Amino acid sequence: MMLSRIADSLFWIGRYMERADNTARILDVNYHMLLEQPPDTYKLRWDPLITITGERTRFYKKYEEANAQAAFDFLGYSEDNPNSIGQCIICARENARTIRDRISRELWEDINGLYHKINKLRDYGGDLSSFCDAVKKGGHRFHGVCDATLARDEGWHFLQAGCALERAEMTARILDVHYHQLLEGPQILNEARSHAWMAVLKSVAAYEFYKRQYTLIEPHKVAELLLLDARHPRSVRFNLGILQNSLYSISGSVPGTYANEAERLTSRTHERLTYDSIDEIFSSGLHNFLEDLLDTCRIIGAEITQTYLYYAVVA
Amino acid sequence: MPVFDKIAMSTAPILHPGNQLLFNGYDPGSFYDEMVAPSGQPRPSSAPMYEKLANMPLEIYEERRKLADLSYLVQGITFTVYSDGRGTERLFPFDLVPRIIPRSEWDLIERGLAQRVTALNLYLQDIYGQQRILKDRIVPRNLVYSCKHFRREMVGLAVPRDIYIHICGTDLVRDSRTGEYLVLEDNARSPSGISYVLENRLVMRRTFPRAFELLEVLPVDHYPAELVQILRSLSPRSADRPVIVLLTPGLYNSAYFEHCFLAQEMGIELVEGRDLVVADDVVYMKTIHGLTRVDVIYRRVDDDFLDPLAFRADSLVGVPGLMNAYRAGNIALANAVGTGVADDKAIYAYVPQFIRYYLGEDPILHNVETYLCSNPTQLSYVLEHLPELVVKAVGESGGYGMLMGPSADKKTIEDFRQRLIADPRNYIAQPVIPLSRCPAFDAATGSMSPRHVDLRPYCLYDGEKVTIVPGGLTRVALQRGSLVVNSSQGGGSKDTWVLRGEE
Repeated sequence: MMLSRIADSLFWIGRYMERADNTARILDVNYHMLLEQPPDTYKLRWDPLITITGERTRFYKKYEEANAQAAFDFLGYSEDNPNSIGQCIICARENARTIRDRISRELWEDINGLYHKINKLRDYGGDLSSFCDAVKKGGHRFHGVCDATLARDEGWHFLQAGCALERAEMTARILDVHYHQLLEGPQILNEARSHAWMAVLKSVAAYEFYKRQYTLIEPHKVAELLLLDARHPRSVRFNLGILQNSLYSISGSVPGTYANEAERLTSRTHERLTYDSIDEIFSSGLHNFLEDLLDTCRIIGAEITQTYLYYAVVA
Repeated sequence: MPVFDKIAMSTAPILHPGNQLLFNGYDPGSFYDEMVAPSGQPRPSSAPMYEKLANMPLEIYEERRKLADLSYLVQGITFTVYSDGRGTERLFPFDLVPRIIPRSEWDLIERGLAQRVTALNLYLQDIYGQQRILKDRIVPRNLVYSCKHFRREMVGLAVPRDIYIHICGTDLVRDSRTGEYLVLEDNARSPSGISYVLENRLVMRRTFPRAFELLEVLPVDHYPAELVQILRSLSPRSADRPVIVLLTPGLYNSAYFEHCFLAQEMGIELVEGRDLVVADDVVYMKTIHGLTRVDVIYRRVDDDFLDPLAFRADSLVGVPGLMNAYRAGNIALANAVGTGVADDKAIYAYVPQFIRYYLGEDPILHNVETYLCSNPTQLSYVLEHLPELVVKAVGESGGYGMLMGPSADKKTIEDFRQRLIADPRNYIAQPVIPLSRCPAFDAATGSMSPRHVDLRPYCLYDGEKVTIVPGGLTRVALQRGSLVVNSSQGGGSKDTWVLRGEE
């Protein structure tokens, strides 16, 4: 027996924590990559980051140009950006606080601890690196504490679904924006381009894994790993697999069937990512594919809400 | 547990030179001291703990105090101050020196409270039933009917197992002049604070594990189990596992931490009004797989906000139709609706008479002498002696609407004089009780100082017997000389120990 409101909170704790973690990753990797880059590529490199988070309009209302300081400010703590890391952690914590009777004491203390930790970093003027590091470590610990202390009940599956859906979306966005910029944007040095792809891989913690699989940095191989890989925990396919499993566990439907629209869309997309080859995807246009994918993710989120979390009519 | 290396705490350690001892220069003064006898020697039941603290170097004490504060912060046991615009969270101050109650005194308190809670329940049953006590003119009819919390909707409505007050938090003080415990007020609606009792104990066990080995402090952890057992017994359905929920006003209520804590400890669902819905006089909760029937609600929402159809229409935290379900006998509520007619501060003056009337016994615990301003003779006495008295509004709690005569300025006193004349029914007055004191750590001097304390034990009533976890919440006025223990006024709390010994 699970209250809809509690399932809703768990779903969003997953999403917010994952969003904070992914944002910290792209921020951190970008920053370190740029330390070794000629200054003229600066604009090119901070602007895409803002695009990934989907907050361009809000950003340029507040800042004249995208540079490290502005990006850190906006993506790190800004209260004007509802998707800043600080705001995500506040939201995750508020949700956790609301349902703290339903989660383990360890999980609450962990999220609460992360909140205090990043506030402390802000108050003491901590730099970008130590901030991102704290958030990433917080993300790891969050998954560890969940894994080690939460019962595998329906609540667990809502939390998993939130994490998986958010992570799939973030990976797809990172890929989309970088692909667009690097292949269709202004000409830049090959060396810089290869660094940029390495940065993309590092931001999803897939650099070492990629090197072992493919050795050379090639854009469509990077896309293959990020989209279609069955083993890497940040690939879109991997995460849709987790989402599918969680949705089926909640409804009790069997594979090959579906009980609601969220399940149908998830299964269909997962099938495509399983059986499409990267060449097929490229031949019909990666950007279109990713746009369609992101759109589907958005609908899946809405359908989950509609099916389980929202009561429209009073009995 | 996450690692905090340096947390910004409001209570930064103050280092004092030399081997200063915590009880050096401690003077119990002219008030009754819970730990130290007038001779300066510790009282017998407090002696082992006193010795331990008296021999503890300041640095060690500071370290333990910081660890204790940290554990509250990590668990998020904080309340929020919005005055700086950012919503700073503060810790509810906790003092590590326990208040130790000798077993013989506790036995008396226990018997006294059991008697009192039983009488209050009989009174409520009578008021909302036959009203014998009104017919026998023990308590004036208009005094009862004019109570802010009298609910005419409850008249003639049978409540499950005839229990009205399932949970009662009665505030006790010790009068320094006589050493006697007195009842200051009853909280029969939804008393809060029990979570601090349980959390304080948890922290104390971690902070002074050896003291617990040595002293055999009576446990308090069984409170949630006792409460949930009572809640289960109220179910209107003979279901194997009745569905019990705790109804909270939500995250922004100052007691939200406690609501979560209790729901978790009892293994029941924590719900908000919007999670519940009433159809055909049956209460359901909205789950991911549809509606589930609810049998018992431990509600922490006031009567006024419980059901917008029956009470305040602007309530957003209530459940429309809940009173109809209650009337139909399809849902049990704890505490029952309308219990505020028992803890009204004017009714309080009559509780000793309730005990005599319903139980035929003399009260074991006495009231503080109380003047009812609704009585013209008593009003004129009060008006003549305002600077010596405490004046309280009858329907308020938490230290609101109060005049502390001795410390108030002329203007405030005159202001209250006008209010008393305009609405005498709304006020009572009491002499200022010189509350007993207990040692508390004073960070400014780095040593122990006596501070005033009160005591709120929590009573559970199952229709036959009253169960009280040994001890309760000791609130302490951390400001020097202050008699106000409310947390909003700089009050803190202490763990309360009842020792097993000397039975």
